[in-house]
Amino acid sequence: MFGRSATRRIVVSRPEGLHARPCLAICRTAQQFQSRIELRRGRQKADARSVLELLSLGAGLGTELVLKARGADSEQALDALVELFGNNFGLASEVE
Amino acid sequence: MLQRLGITNGKVTRDPDQGNVYVYVNPDEQERRHLCETLKLDEHTLASALDPDELARLEFEPEHVALIFKRPKNYSSEEMFVFQVTSMGLFLFADRLVVVLSEDVPPFEGKQFAKVATLPELLLKIVYASILHFIGHLKVINAVSESLEDQINTSMHNRYLLNLFSLEKSLVYYLNAINSNGKLIERLKHGAAKIGFTPENVEVIDDLIIENSQCYEQAEIYSNILASLMDARVSIVSNNLNWLMKTLTIITIAIMLPTFIVSVFSMNVDFPGKDHPLMFWGIMALAFSSIAVVRLVWWWKKW
Repeated sequence: MFGRSATRRIVVSRPEGLHARPCLAICRTAQQFQSRIELRRGRQKADARSVLELLSLGAGLGTELVLKARGADSEQALDALVELFGNNFGLASEVE
Repeated sequence: MLQRLGITNGKVTRDPDQGNVYVYVNPDEQERRHLCETLKLDEHTLASALDPDELARLEFEPEHVALIFKRPKNYSSEEMFVFQVTSMGLFLFADRLVVVLSEDVPPFEGKQFAKVATLPELLLKIVYASILHFIGHLKVINAVSESLEDQINTSMHNRYLLNLFSLEKSLVYYLNAINSNGKLIERLKHGAAKIGFTPENVEVIDDLIIENSQCYEQAEIYSNILASLMDARVSIVSNNLNWLMKTLTIITIAIMLPTFIVSVFSMNVDFPGKDHPLMFWGIMALAFSSIAVVRLVWWWKKW
């Protein structure tokens, strides 16, 4: 009825944590998929499509987040989000 | 805290020994003294680079050019939707670039730093990164404001309204900062020869002027939309509350009528038919039909 569900765990590696622009990037990525995606920080939950809820999570450096998706494309959605975290939301420092 | 970087093969690289890009994050007293005494930075200009309330400006000194410009402060959840601005100082010498920041934010993030050839080019790219940072935050403010509007449509308390007020205030800060940066970029263009910018650098400055003015217009539009619809949103919250009060009042009246009927028949006096075996059910029917009457009147009056 609800489609497949998938879960991933991820640790915030940006020194500034999940601030404004990364939250918007998560939101935009989540909106590309049909699945309902949730980010959990302990007991706190945030809908990945709502930048308001993501900002309210207040996830700082080193915070462990649980990504949960439910829907037909849940695996693809979480893969895309994990990739987004991996490439630092396209905001990586270019210092080598 | 000092970090030394250099430009090697068109890339910004970590070079603790010979790097000619000095990044000072929240410099301590000793570092400040070093900057003022050794590099001859003006103490007031250095303080301005660390002061979030300072306006953007350009200063020509005998051995260097000092740029104080505004950039958005990284948002944290404790700030309750107030997006603030901070200052950054760039001191361009013939052989080095000194970057002074008040908070630990990566000044070289973004693809524009993937290829850098000279120090003046790096300086312009840092200014460009600041404009992009503002644009990024404006998009976030717009997205947050849309989410808040959705919440307000069904809300009965003023928490979301207060958040919107915070966003409105943030946009005023941003407008002021972007406008101030715009003046600085204009001055960079006028002083291009004095600073030693190449014609290619001047072309980049022209692009920066366009980018910054578009950023300003975007902030202005968002600010106007927020300000002009604020009264309407206040009315929506007030109206939502009125609806709740009206519903509660109708429920109260619907409960009052059967209570009244049952109370009348509970009085310790004789009334006709009080010994009839069906009297209890008759009173109950009367009480419940009074609720139906209220519902009918509600429907008929279109309350």
